[in-house]
Amino acid sequence: MKTIATYLLLMTATLPAMDVVAMPGQSPLIQFRFVFRTGAANDPPERPGTAAFTAAMLAGGGTKALPYQQVLDALYPMAAQVDAQVDKEMIVFSGTTHADNLEAYYTLLRDMLLTPGWREEDLKRIRDHQRNEVRLALRENNDEELGKEVLYSLAYAGHPYGHLTLGTLRSIDAMTMGELQAFYKAHLTQANLTIGIAGKYPAGFVERMKKDFSALPAGKASAVKLPPAAPLRETRVTIVQKKTRAVAFSMGYPIAVTRNHPDFPALLVANVWFGAHRSSGGNLYQRMREIRGLNYGDYSYIEYFPNGMFQFEPDPNHFRRSQIFQIWIRPVEPPTAHFALRLALFELGRLVDKGMTEAEFETTRDFLSLNVNLLMKTKSAELGYAIDSKAYGIPEYTTYIQSALKKLKYEDVQKAIRTHLRKDRLQVVAISDHAEELKKQLVADEPSPMRYNAPKPGDIVEEDKIVSTLKLGWKTEQITVVPVETVFQ
Amino acid sequence: MLPAAEPRKIFDYPYEQHDFPNGLRLLTVPTDYPNIVALYIVVNVGSRNEVEAGKSGFAHFFEHVMFRGTKKNSPQKWDATMKAAGAATNAFTSDDLTAYHATFSKQGLASILELEADRFQNLDYSEAVFRTEALAVNGEYNKNSAAPTQKLHEKVRETAFDAHTYKHTTMGFLADIKAMPDQYAYSKQFFDRFYRPEYTTIVVVGDVKAAEVKALVEKFWGGWKRGAYAPEIPKEPVQAKERTAHVEWPSPTVPWLSVSYKTPAYSDTEKDTAALNLIAALAFGPTSPTYQRLVLQEQKVDVLSGGALQRVDPYLFTVLSRVKAEQDVEGVRESVIATLNGFKDTLVERKRLDAVKNNLRYRFAQSMNNSEAIAGALAYAVSLRRSPETLNRLYSLYEQITPEDLRDAARKYFVESGRTVVTLTGPKSK
Repeated sequence: MKTIATYLLLMTATLPAMDVVAMPGQSPLIQFRFVFRTGAANDPPERPGTAAFTAAMLAGGGTKALPYQQVLDALYPMAAQVDAQVDKEMIVFSGTTHADNLEAYYTLLRDMLLTPGWREEDLKRIRDHQRNEVRLALRENNDEELGKEVLYSLAYAGHPYGHLTLGTLRSIDAMTMGELQAFYKAHLTQANLTIGIAGKYPAGFVERMKKDFSALPAGKASAVKLPPAAPLRETRVTIVQKKTRAVAFSMGYPIAVTRNHPDFPALLVANVWFGAHRSSGGNLYQRMREIRGLNYGDYSYIEYFPNGMFQFEPDPNHFRRSQIFQIWIRPVEPPTAHFALRLALFELGRLVDKGMTEAEFETTRDFLSLNVNLLMKTKSAELGYAIDSKAYGIPEYTTYIQSALKKLKYEDVQKAIRTHLRKDRLQVVAISDHAEELKKQLVADEPSPMRYNAPKPGDIVEEDKIVSTLKLGWKTEQITVVPVETVFQ
Repeated sequence: MLPAAEPRKIFDYPYEQHDFPNGLRLLTVPTDYPNIVALYIVVNVGSRNEVEAGKSGFAHFFEHVMFRGTKKNSPQKWDATMKAAGAATNAFTSDDLTAYHATFSKQGLASILELEADRFQNLDYSEAVFRTEALAVNGEYNKNSAAPTQKLHEKVRETAFDAHTYKHTTMGFLADIKAMPDQYAYSKQFFDRFYRPEYTTIVVVGDVKAAEVKALVEKFWGGWKRGAYAPEIPKEPVQAKERTAHVEWPSPTVPWLSVSYKTPAYSDTEKDTAALNLIAALAFGPTSPTYQRLVLQEQKVDVLSGGALQRVDPYLFTVLSRVKAEQDVEGVRESVIATLNGFKDTLVERKRLDAVKNNLRYRFAQSMNNSEAIAGALAYAVSLRRSPETLNRLYSLYEQITPEDLRDAARKYFVESGRTVVTLTGPKSK
């Protein structure tokens, strides 16, 4: 006969290793986030894109019991779906259901994650989809996102972050069902899983999910050893040759700061002042677009922010143990490309040399301490941020930022800028139809004067004289031209 | 599952609507999302109003100009006031509206309503900044131009319309964008015509009290003078026969196919709008036989969507497909047309119709998950009828639609003479 004590022991022994973030609330919209601490960093070296392909098969394929067509039939009347997001160290399956449909939706979601169908017809369709994501959505139809992803792959060359999360076309073509299943088995484990749920779900629901998901292998943490990114000895410029109207730039380098670094709040303030995403208030935007009309916008980042052209707030669950500082220059007219690049580097130089003023620091700090609340606009985002905070080992994000900002001093920000940012040794990526010509211009380093359609104030005329003659000092070996057809091939 | 016939209001937030004597309308929706306020200022002017030759894209350009300051508030001061409230701000323009929005902490409500009232009444900018802003619009065209769907969309409008201003996109014709720097005088006229209280609705959603919002709007916006301009939008003549066009895209891409039909103007009293929206979902949604065949079984298409965009004037029902191989484009075109023709003879099963109605209801309910989303949905309603009730009326029409209504709408609108087919392909592979 089992005593109560042994029963409890058994309970503990079989208790799943997975983590739960539960946010019970009054909303009839119930949000799910199943977050696995694995991703492209765990791709087999010869098969980049395995994590992304595996997740796409789960979220966009059938279950053992139901072909995909029937999954869609079941989801449709609930207006529900299962989304997959894959990054270097996190895979997220998320979805929302109205409480009316909780049972039906959860059952489907659970079966999609626990008993995938692994059908050949799904493999064929998802392969086309993954190919088109690389070929069309990125390489052929979106110069700006292409520039950013090329920058990331160069900044992390030879590093577990160094390949496109979607993989290469060659690897996607070669991917086998066995490889996807092997990844699934090795990495979608209890040890890697955090279950997030928010909304008006019934009592006992969390326990039920934990029990269901204990069907996953126990596994062990997938996190790979992360070496520092290889240091750059000099600036490298990569110009992707592509038929396109304008010239898009992305540039940057890895930094030591991630969300749990003591300098993160300080660097966040500096970055928001310099280049807040899609905001007219950033310095770079002011100098390049507002005053000079060079393009549609200019921003900077200290955390990975994919799909920036489509959204104002970042999606959560892009947890990374290494980040880059990045400048994004939206497409400029080809004749102004050289000047625009010089101006961006001039402004970066000014940030690094002088930082910001005390008054600018105060306004930006006060803005951020309120603005950070907007990140939690939806319950789903709140849930995502809570899961990220656990991964980074920091308190709830808004509280963390707000309390850090209260203590933050002007000198802290100035110091963080000096410590973590620099104005040289950058990876620069350009997308251009005149790649060779741009390369020639950059190597020649001749003045690139600007002509405007309206008179400019005297200080801008003077500043332009400095910017247009700014010596970049790049040699021909530092600049590589790559045909777009070879990128992520 | 919701019972399909239950008469419940889709927009069920209690709201207050107030009309000021100058024609300005205020919609306030208090919600229980704490601290945050979403403000949308909607002007019923869009690319539809651009009736003069050479002025396409002006409504959108003007949206940019609105950020160029007043005597009292320079752009820097405007930014500083917004920043002090932690605000995220932006604006957008479409065929039938221009909307300015800000989401911020509730402490900022009074200062932001005052700030916005100032620029809507006292906008003041120099020709030099006007000319610079025109370049940013050109930059916006450039950043959009990397996507072939943008060009396809331009071509569809250009081909389908002769007289109506829906002929051009909201960005405008490229030649008109290039000429924008020289339109300073016209921009003053544009502001004088359309930035008037009778064209404007203020939408406030979030952690607010309706009475306080009303008092603030009265104080800052009450003195705004009514205008006197009403544009004459040209009527589109009835299309006489099918039209086709092709776009040669300069860089590699898979082919795109667009099949459109002329549709009636948005209506929340006649059944046509509701019936066409339901047909779009039944014909090309992920559970439709055509989607399942083309996308899942034959796998010839990887993007398939259909819909009748709701516009103030008659517009288009468009089916968009991305076809994996060029040799399949013709077959997909035939499938799309045959699918729509099928609705003319065969009555849709009740069960499928109910599933689509449920989908629409739940999709709407699930999108209303924060104050900003609610304000955004209302801005769209305002662009059509200046009232949230139009949403309730439209969704109640959905409930009433029968399989016979769908058949009648299909017979009326899916006619060959009203059709426009546009294809886009990349360079022939070597």
